[in-house]
Amino acid sequence: MGRWALNDGMYLALIRLAFQRQLAYRTANLAGFATNAFFGAMRAYVIIALFGTHSAVAGYTVQAAVTYTGLTQLLLSYVAIFGWWDMMRTIRSGEVASDLSRPIDYFWYWGAQDCGRGVAQLFLRGAPIMMLYVLFYPVVWPPTLWHWLALPFSLALALLVSFAWRFIVSLAAFWVQDAVGIGRFAWTVAIFMSGFIMPLAFLPPWLITLMRLTPFPTFMNTPFEIYLGILNGPALLGALVEQGLWFVLLYSLAQVLLKLSVQKLIVQGG
Amino acid sequence: MLALYWRLILVRIQAQLQYKISFGFELVGTALATLIEFLTFAAVFERFGGIGGWGLGEVAFLYGLAESAFATMDMLFSGYDPAFFSELIRRGTFDQLLLRPLSLPLQVFASEFLIRRLGRMAQGLGVLIFGLTLNPILWTPAKAIYLGLVYFSTVAFFGGLFVVGATICFWTVESIEAINILTYGGTGMISYPMHIYGDWMQRFFTFVIPSALLTYYPALYFLDKPELQTTLWFMPFLSPLAGFGVLAIAFGLWSVGVRKYTSTGS
Repeated sequence: MGRWALNDGMYLALIRLAFQRQLAYRTANLAGFATNAFFGAMRAYVIIALFGTHSAVAGYTVQAAVTYTGLTQLLLSYVAIFGWWDMMRTIRSGEVASDLSRPIDYFWYWGAQDCGRGVAQLFLRGAPIMMLYVLFYPVVWPPTLWHWLALPFSLALALLVSFAWRFIVSLAAFWVQDAVGIGRFAWTVAIFMSGFIMPLAFLPPWLITLMRLTPFPTFMNTPFEIYLGILNGPALLGALVEQGLWFVLLYSLAQVLLKLSVQKLIVQGG
Repeated sequence: MLALYWRLILVRIQAQLQYKISFGFELVGTALATLIEFLTFAAVFERFGGIGGWGLGEVAFLYGLAESAFATMDMLFSGYDPAFFSELIRRGTFDQLLLRPLSLPLQVFASEFLIRRLGRMAQGLGVLIFGLTLNPILWTPAKAIYLGLVYFSTVAFFGGLFVVGATICFWTVESIEAINILTYGGTGMISYPMHIYGDWMQRFFTFVIPSALLTYYPALYFLDKPELQTTLWFMPFLSPLAGFGVLAIAFGLWSVGVRKYTSTGS
């Protein structure tokens, strides 16, 4: 605990620096916003056309489903659904040697930075998209105060679970020289299993069961179902517990794998 | 000239096969992932019973055509991928190409060739064939030839967009992410029948950026859709003009860019 207290300032500084780094990329954020807006509009049209004359499918009204597409655009950079290469790059370049010798936990060294990155992305790219949706569609809002209260916790857990997953994938760079292919494969899996493409509820039951055995739906589908009020009462609480358990599980796995990976590390000296 | 191109490409391919685990993961991964994407979509489709009056087979035709043509382009035009080309400019590698006594466009074509795109290409072709088997099309030699032409026109169209994206780098150095709206966004968009989108979007993507001419209008003709009745008769046959026209304009802009180009070096 003493070590944690000593490092408090350091973690906060890491969060702040990562946040500021995102602010520096102004044109990239603007272009990203335009891209998000286009994809958002496109997916809304697709959902509306799919619903056609159906008023509700699998517990979703067309308004809820359109809101869902807005939420995916809101969270896609927050949980870095298209991929995250920062850590892998430092392992390949050898910077990892100095990172590992810092008096700071390696998992939280990156975890703190990802927190700053995620929060910056949520406000820079996510929030403006949601505002556009509010302007152009009759979006749905969380139905009760409980849903509003649960949402921040679910969002925080979504970031943590997705980070733990991205950390584990990035460890592959300790084992093979070029882990980019493994990374691309892993990010793609998350894209499809997280509910980014379609609400999980629209899929065949056997596929939903299969996906629920993985942590991926907790990145996106879970917070969205809380937002839309599809999860209520005990189910809502259960969803938060599920997210928490996935984090504990992936965090523990990350610690074990990190220990094994560091033993593998050989940095070319100079 | 072509012999030299093949030799350079062969070297690129060999280099990519060096990291076998990574490459294998990627190839199987992308093919699998894009396949899951389509299966997911097919499952959702079944629940809703179609989109904008089109059935699964008809959308599979559009989707497979767009995906496979885009992936083919993504492999052939890897060197013009704005993300890759901006690196050539930034590092000054492009200056080296200017010094060689060889056709410049050819050198850029040969500077990268990502064979991992084969994964997505295979999946796209699979879906296209699936789509063709579901639709009772009366095939004539002319129709078959035209389908091939539509395919290559789509490749040329997206290639043109890559070349434009690369040309912009002559001025900006950094690649402009907004071009992704037209390339990746455009592929997604033309995977569905265009009439499901808003009027502004349909008009923009017919008359300004002619994405709709590439596969949507030809699809009306191949699949003999009722929308054909309310369309001008020649609309389904503008695909080659749109595709190769865009590519020609793109290379025109490119040569202007090359003449304007003033390196990043000191």
